[in-house]
Amino acid sequence: MFSLSQRFQHVSNQALSFAIFAAAFVVASTWVQLYRDNVFSLNSSIGNVNPHINVRTSRYYGSVNGKPKENIRLSFDLDADLTPLFNWNTKQIFAFVTATYDGKLKNGVKSEVTFWDTIITDKAEAHITLENLKSKYSVWDLEEKLSERDLTFHLHWNIQPWIGTLIYGKTTGQTIVGIPERKVPSKNQNKSTSESR
Amino acid sequence: MNLRLELTRFLNLCFALASAFMFWKGLSIVTDSHSPIVVVLSGSMEPAFQRGDILFLWNRNALNKVGDVVVYEVEGKEIPIVHRVLREHVDEKSGKQLLLTKGDNNAGNDIPLYARRKVYLQKDRDIVGTVKGYIPQLGYVTIWISENKYAKAGLMGLIGLSALLSNE
Repeated sequence: MFSLSQRFQHVSNQALSFAIFAAAFVVASTWVQLYRDNVFSLNSSIGNVNPHINVRTSRYYGSVNGKPKENIRLSFDLDADLTPLFNWNTKQIFAFVTATYDGKLKNGVKSEVTFWDTIITDKAEAHITLENLKSKYSVWDLEEKLSERDLTFHLHWNIQPWIGTLIYGKTTGQTIVGIPERKVPSKNQNKSTSESR
Repeated sequence: MNLRLELTRFLNLCFALASAFMFWKGLSIVTDSHSPIVVVLSGSMEPAFQRGDILFLWNRNALNKVGDVVVYEVEGKEIPIVHRVLREHVDEKSGKQLLLTKGDNNAGNDIPLYARRKVYLQKDRDIVGTVKGYIPQLGYVTIWISENKYAKAGLMGLIGLSALLSNE
């Protein structure tokens, strides 16, 4: 009746069902804890946004067939306290600043792009206060120009757990910045003024 | 030797294999992804994911968001890549979405990894799934089996032996 293989099957079945229950408990209690800590309405502020517009012709900066492409880099201030995101099932926080905007030439095109991100693995470093922070990425659009439109900035976060589901959220702060027209390089400006004289 | 008993054992083995296959394909249909469970093979998403971690995917979402960790396949390359969405551009009329991805642990974005002359991924064509759940390290067994020929032979032997020894 009781063979080794039966015994093995019995034990492994029990281990599997216990593991499934344990995982379900971990996932559920993590979510309960996050709601109790009110993490889905954390505040943040993004300010002092200064765009720097550049034109690039490399494929790795979005240029197609060598056509010039506007790239935007930023400097900005960021203040957010992500400490409540850390609990017993938090392995790391991935925090990222994105901008959303509408297409200009074609209607109905919506975009969201990342300007800056960071990985936080320590609760002590979860309170972000940074000034004149340089954006990590040089951002371009599908269109030639990214300037002359409004960019809406948000700080998002993603909790990577030790085990369970990936959890995403957005802080409540929102900053809208109008990107000005790209200034024509000073060389051309001088030329035009000298011609007009 | 009893022929009927041997045949029953063989049928039992077939039943086990078929139900495993059915479970996998059923999961594929539910998640709308041809490989709903993947094992991380590289360190490009460290420290979020290490080699050997198991990821559960979901692919019924029409669009991805920035920050999502997606698994995508590149034409002509066998190994699927697990990276994070850095940018998304969606055309709301046609519902087509373009994505740019990057590994957390990589310095630059993924354009050098994409198929020739491509600078974006297409959500509906290239994405295998979005990572929803995570179990650490357990997938190392499959890496070990697929990369070590003795482990593979040993496992096959074990399955065969247990099928022969089981007498129900």
